[in-house]
Amino acid sequence: MAQLEVENVTLVFGGLAALSAVSLEVEEGELVSIIGPNGAGKTSLLNCISGFYHPTRGRIRFEGHDLTHASPHTATRYGIARAFQNIELFSGLTVLENLLLARYTHLGYGLAAASVYYGRAQEAEVRARALVEEVIDFMELEPYRKAPVGNLPYGVRKRVEVARALALEPKLLLLDEPMAGMTLEEKEDMVRFILDVRSERGTTIVLIEHDLGVVMDISDRVYVLDFGEVIASGPPREVAENPRVLEAYVGGEA
Amino acid sequence: MRNVWAETGNYKTDYRQDSSIFATRLEQLSLIGFLLALFLLPLFLSRTQMFVADLIVIYALAVLGLNIITGYAGLINIGQAAFMGVGAYTAALLAPGLPFWLTIPIGGLVAALAGAVVGIPSLRIKHLYLAIATLAFQVIFEWIVGHSPLLKQGGAIPMPRVVFLGYRVGYKNHYYFWYFVALVVLILLAFAFRNLLRTRFGRALVAVRDNDRAADAMGMHPGLTKIFAFALGAFYAGVAGGLYAYFSRAVVIEDYMLPVSIKFLAMAIVGGLGSLPGSFFGPAFLVLLDLNMEDFANWMKRLGLSYAGVDIASAMRPLTFGLVIVLFLVFEPRGLANWWRLVRNYFKNWPFRY
Repeated sequence: MAQLEVENVTLVFGGLAALSAVSLEVEEGELVSIIGPNGAGKTSLLNCISGFYHPTRGRIRFEGHDLTHASPHTATRYGIARAFQNIELFSGLTVLENLLLARYTHLGYGLAAASVYYGRAQEAEVRARALVEEVIDFMELEPYRKAPVGNLPYGVRKRVEVARALALEPKLLLLDEPMAGMTLEEKEDMVRFILDVRSERGTTIVLIEHDLGVVMDISDRVYVLDFGEVIASGPPREVAENPRVLEAYVGGEA
Repeated sequence: MRNVWAETGNYKTDYRQDSSIFATRLEQLSLIGFLLALFLLPLFLSRTQMFVADLIVIYALAVLGLNIITGYAGLINIGQAAFMGVGAYTAALLAPGLPFWLTIPIGGLVAALAGAVVGIPSLRIKHLYLAIATLAFQVIFEWIVGHSPLLKQGGAIPMPRVVFLGYRVGYKNHYYFWYFVALVVLILLAFAFRNLLRTRFGRALVAVRDNDRAADAMGMHPGLTKIFAFALGAFYAGVAGGLYAYFSRAVVIEDYMLPVSIKFLAMAIVGGLGSLPGSFFGPAFLVLLDLNMEDFANWMKRLGLSYAGVDIASAMRPLTFGLVIVLFLVFEPRGLANWWRLVRNYFKNWPFRY
């Protein structure tokens, strides 16, 4: 049984089908990419998996839990973390506080302990801090630790977005265009981070990305969406040669 | 060697140090000194001046509660005075049978319950629509009190004089006694909130303010977090209400009506939304300003200044109040707390600023 199973998911907004009968399977430890032209439904699919949308028909299962109607915080508790395409950070907080927020559910102390900040609460906070510092170290965010996120440059905020998802210690990491709008150098860094996450933590990764060069280089398997349907799937090389994919990307014969 | 007087040149060597409230011994000592000064203040003030000091301390508590809801969690609350009223009326009903150190906390808890109920719409609605829900609570509160024979339809319910540790609080020491009680309560509750701010609860409040989609993705329930914010802020207001009831010796509906809620919002804005010290600056500044305008108006009255038969003096207070708020919104939207922050940051790396 695959870790993540998306079965015949259909998502309808009004009369428009954003996704129609999409099926997808991801094995534990795999790096799977989803590609497709703009408006193909890639982000909608990610929204369904992470609980922001609920499919009109079909089923989503993660490690045996039914996520079809789960809310985002339930999906998070099962071990799914997500980095958003349009940066959704807590802009008034520092990088450190943003990452600490990801430890929210792991910090188990109660209100009374927190209001005196002593004993359990303090110990738990110190442990959370140590874990978050590891992520900061990993994502090379040390210079920005105490900086309010709202003032940081775009490329760094994208990195904080991924770091915050990592601080959740997820089993499945959903990355929605983590390299969009980045310079070549920033992109190379991000690819290195993604590969390191995989090799060091063994996290399953689902990646949406427009840069086909990156996708073909690092993915185990690729799904291609067009107009809400999976038109091709398989290892990168096979998919790249699929005529339907070429048609969707380059356009049909004139 | 650690520099105990200034932060400059100090390296933190563990995470515990980094999360401490005071960066240096000096900061800690100056706060202790300031608090001591507050406790010694009554030695230098007359009975009338103590009345003002009491008012500022109690208002600061209510505004701190409002800051939790509106400043930190970003939920506009136009019903803070009603939460205060819930605490005050609870204390008034229980006062004949129970001592004040029970009635006031119970009042806070009842207000917290009311806050949680008012927070329920935040599961569905946001921003201005939620603000209207808090306004609705204010109106419902006023209506219920106005129609309830038990609460004398908003007329004065007298509060008994209290006896504490065999010490009878009478006319002469009334304001002194309640000053100390209110100050101790304010300091305890302010420290409790300062501690919450460096834990998951405090961060969760700011998270739902900044981005509740992302807060959801962090595994917290945004709606429940907002309800928690309302309950916590209303608890502070309820305790303030209980204190106010004893302090003013009677519970009257006028003290807990809509204009008071608006006044609290103004104090929070002038002090600085989302700032703990701002919760103290705002009430202190506006109460003292109001008082000075009163003096100024009386002085003008004696000079016989009036226009077309209208007494300018009596218009001075609301006019300056409005003017101050507009000036703050335009020139210093982050309030007095921002000036405080600038001063502190200047001295942070002093004397090596580069």
